[in-house]
Amino acid sequence: MRLGMLASALAVTAALATGSTMLALPAVAQDGATITGGFDVGPGGLQGNFNPLAATAGFTWLVTYFEPLVIWNAELTRIEGALAESFEVSDDQLTYTFKLAEAKWHDGEAFTSADVAFTIRLAQNDKSGSVLAARLGSIASVETPDERTAVIKLSKPAANMLDTLTKLMMLPEHALSKIPVEELAKNAWWSATPIGTGPFKFSRYATDQYVEVVANPDYRGGAPEAARLINRYFKDPAAAIAALRAGEIQFTYVDSNDVSTFADAAAFEVIEGPSLVVNYVGFNQEVPLWKDLRVRQAFMYAINRDAIIQSLYGGAAEAANCVYTVDQFVPEGIEAFAYDPEKAKALLDEAGWAELNGDKPITILTYYTSPLVTNVLAAMQAMLAQVGINIVPRAVDTPTYNSIVYGETYGDFPLIFAGLQNGPDPSNINIGLNESQIPPAGANIMRVQMPEVTAALDAALGETDAAARDVAFQEVCKATNANLPWATMWVANRYGVASTKLENFVWTPAPAGGPFQAHPEKWSVAQ
Amino acid sequence: MLRYTLHRLLIGAGMLLALSVLIFILLRLTPGDPIDAYIDPNVAISQEEMAALRTRLGLDQPLPVQYFAWLSQAVQGNLGYSIQRFDQTVAGLIAQRMGPTLLLMAAGLTIAIVVGITAGVIGAIRRNTLPDLSLSVLALVGISSPAFLTALLGLYVFSVRLHWTPSGGMLTPATPFSLLDLLHHLILPAIVLSVGYTSLIMRYTRASMLEVLNQDYVRTARAKGVKEFWVIVKHTLRNALLPVVTLIGSTIGLAVGGAIFIETVFNWPGMGLLLVDAVGTRDYPVIMGATLVIGAAVIVVNILTDLTYAVVDPRIKVA
Amino acid sequence: MSALTLSASGPLARSIVRFVDNRAALFGLAVLVPMLLAILTYPLWLPYKPNDIDLLAMNAGPSATHWFGTDGVGRDVFARTLEGGRISLLVAVSSVVLSTAIGFLVGAISAFGGRWADAIAMRSVDLAMTLPPIIFLLVLASIIGSGIWSTVIVIALLSWPVLSRMVRARLLELRERDFVMASRGMGAGMGHLLFRHGLPNSIDILVVYATLQVANAILLEAGLSFLGLGVPPPAASWGNMLNAARSTAVLEQFPWQWLFPGGALVVTVLAINFIGDGLRDAFDPRADL
Repeated sequence: MRLGMLASALAVTAALATGSTMLALPAVAQDGATITGGFDVGPGGLQGNFNPLAATAGFTWLVTYFEPLVIWNAELTRIEGALAESFEVSDDQLTYTFKLAEAKWHDGEAFTSADVAFTIRLAQNDKSGSVLAARLGSIASVETPDERTAVIKLSKPAANMLDTLTKLMMLPEHALSKIPVEELAKNAWWSATPIGTGPFKFSRYATDQYVEVVANPDYRGGAPEAARLINRYFKDPAAAIAALRAGEIQFTYVDSNDVSTFADAAAFEVIEGPSLVVNYVGFNQEVPLWKDLRVRQAFMYAINRDAIIQSLYGGAAEAANCVYTVDQFVPEGIEAFAYDPEKAKALLDEAGWAELNGDKPITILTYYTSPLVTNVLAAMQAMLAQVGINIVPRAVDTPTYNSIVYGETYGDFPLIFAGLQNGPDPSNINIGLNESQIPPAGANIMRVQMPEVTAALDAALGETDAAARDVAFQEVCKATNANLPWATMWVANRYGVASTKLENFVWTPAPAGGPFQAHPEKWSVAQ
Repeated sequence: MLRYTLHRLLIGAGMLLALSVLIFILLRLTPGDPIDAYIDPNVAISQEEMAALRTRLGLDQPLPVQYFAWLSQAVQGNLGYSIQRFDQTVAGLIAQRMGPTLLLMAAGLTIAIVVGITAGVIGAIRRNTLPDLSLSVLALVGISSPAFLTALLGLYVFSVRLHWTPSGGMLTPATPFSLLDLLHHLILPAIVLSVGYTSLIMRYTRASMLEVLNQDYVRTARAKGVKEFWVIVKHTLRNALLPVVTLIGSTIGLAVGGAIFIETVFNWPGMGLLLVDAVGTRDYPVIMGATLVIGAAVIVVNILTDLTYAVVDPRIKVA
Repeated sequence: MSALTLSASGPLARSIVRFVDNRAALFGLAVLVPMLLAILTYPLWLPYKPNDIDLLAMNAGPSATHWFGTDGVGRDVFARTLEGGRISLLVAVSSVVLSTAIGFLVGAISAFGGRWADAIAMRSVDLAMTLPPIIFLLVLASIIGSGIWSTVIVIALLSWPVLSRMVRARLLELRERDFVMASRGMGAGMGHLLFRHGLPNSIDILVVYATLQVANAILLEAGLSFLGLGVPPPAASWGNMLNAARSTAVLEQFPWQWLFPGGALVVTVLAINFIGDGLRDAFDPRADL
């Protein structure tokens, strides 16, 4: 067994060494500009995933060759049409009507409403490996009155349906219907010959090294400026930064503490934007220490958020007094929790902290392993020590983290330092705070059971009137500010750095990589 | 000799089996499974979906069932599919990564052997002179520096600042393959990888040369008026290199470990990077496959070393 | 150091003379001893604690107040380098004690214990040499929690096989000698064989191995911490301080944050290697360790 394995491995290697020479040659017709970037670097990327149905991130790259019906605009302020030229939502929020654009798949077939119906059915079927199945559960039927119209009927209103649809890339029925649903996830189609409707056509994937897409001259928005895009894979942002500075790539996500490297370099442009992820200290409600609101308030007063934001984040973060920081959802008059260690001490005294825990060490679990967060936790540790709370940071990798927080050994995670997406759609926060989302149902990993918070979230999610919706989410903000299910810290900015050679390049640090309308067909690069 | 080789191979096969059981158990004790690795905590998905995914991957079955299902396939040469990359076979991934790692190690070792032996011989002949002492100190510094630090500094100086070498990877994306391009990418990681080995080989060569130079037959040869150059080449070097051969053989297994750091820093698409990534994403089939192939390679190299040793030195009897 | 404690025993006198004659080894000692003193006593004389943050003085270069500058949260790099030395040496020495014990026992039992014990011991040596360390670490971290002690155990488990091979080779010769045959004939137990005959006859191998292995263990700890699998922050170790150099900004703009711990690491490892070489030459100038 072992010898055979080794021998075949060696044989394949040899074949590959010679084969790759031959493979590489025809793919190269260097006519026109190539844009190379680390498009899947950082928290919004998902290197190695080609299946949009299974994508939890990485949409920035996927939308260079796939397209959804609707998409966020580049500012992430509203949802606009992509493959749908226009769309209407009925007053009762139960009927969504999409007028489809005249588009062609990369193989020349026409994109029709049948493809829409096929894609939605596929995504609703969790046998296909779709992570969208539950979120699309409220879709009762998809009607196709004609080739250019698709009508989605819901069984009950779902406030975040449009947001979910931005993540649903349209797939070609004629290419995929032959593959049994159960085998779809493991099919080679995704990384070998996928076809979409986007401005670029999939060309090839050099396993774990890069993905190449080439211009789709028939794109309905006009032929792309660039001849090809290359998405290079990097082990971590530091490696991508080295490549960027060596001039090998023109764009990558950059960790905020490395931004200073580019601050006054004329060859680079720093792109900055809010992460739309609220960072918080989570109190495990199954641990008796945190039952008392005064203890939770003490955390807010004891941590000098402004100092951390100013010095560690270089000012590029916004303090969060509730789960939102966007003005639209933050009402007047909520408690601002200005830094006040004396007040924190007083609150702890009132709560009897000395008897409750005293200076026994309390683990704070996190999946953030970046140097920045390591520093932030060191600062928090020192600040909390001043008021008599002794926290000990423990950073683990994501799988370890998930297996701990979804488990029931509550002593392993009395505190967490984590983040949860709070935009662009504010209802994203529901999964982490609603009582109905306590595992195994959802991701309320802190087992928060606060009636006021749950009631506010339920009301906001059920609100179908757009104007009333903002007010409803302000109530969520109020409830989280008053009850402190989490000690909300801040929404930090994230960064990308692009070479100034790039023109019309659009990128924004959207959670999960968007998707957002970046018009990749307009990107160009000066040689 | 044949019987001995067969015997060793048989034991090796048994050890691979033991290794596979061990790794399998260790893996299942590791916190988090492939699904946990897939979920970005910032963008949570519901638990029902996670459970459904687990069932489909067969992760909900009892351990022995999972193991024998894997083993029965592995014996037939089928290492299964990667969990995180649904459409890739493990054998395919390993085959792709094997070449780059072998290339990197071969290049690094070649540099180390050439430079190390040359420097060692020079040190031995010019014993206790300035060149010898400075080479010795240099070698010790080489052994005493962490490989990843050398790699980071090398990368920063030669790639980021001087733009002499690429910042990572093995080939320039989307350009035709050319040997020059490959060498351009290879040179820096290979040199960094070779630093530790060069130092080690140099020290061994020097020590073993010194010992041999004091042997009677070398003195005899000198007394007979054989030219110093031929004394070194014909009478000394061959015997002095015996322990060096063993050293090289016995450290090749460790070299795979050392290569992990180099591959990580230079984004070199080899086995080390594959294993680090697979552990990070809990890609069980890939970890099992990669571990076994590395293990097999180490065992084979050990056997080859012992055989080479027997060939080079007829006094050694294998038994 | 370990050699000094042995200086009383007579047969080692010649070795000690040889060691003292070795200038490189003495140089190593001259570097290592002050370093150890500083590392062990720094809380008594240094005004800074390794975990005291100062957000007003972060990323400051070396100055009269902070000799080695400060790091990203304003901690004193000098204090952290010394504390890092403590942790790194603690990890290194503990793991070496553990691996020397395992290595000696397996090697000696393998030599004295008969054919089956030998076969089993040597196969487990081979097995241990083919195990990938990263997986080991992850599992250990889950069972005993990530941190100093899991790092110690992993390094120990990675390094004992080489020693057992050397001990076995040495003791196999010994086994056939008359006095060992005689004591076996008189029904001496395994414990007697191991500690009355095995230990004294392999003590030189053990001392030299242990010394050189401390140097190796320091490097291994640094490597593991570099992969994010070693000593977890905010505890300082030379490895996780060096990890900061992964960030381009630190590498380029705040070099003191990695240069000093890096320098301390290289100098310490170098000094230990000098001493280890000296010990080896002292015990047996022709040893092929």
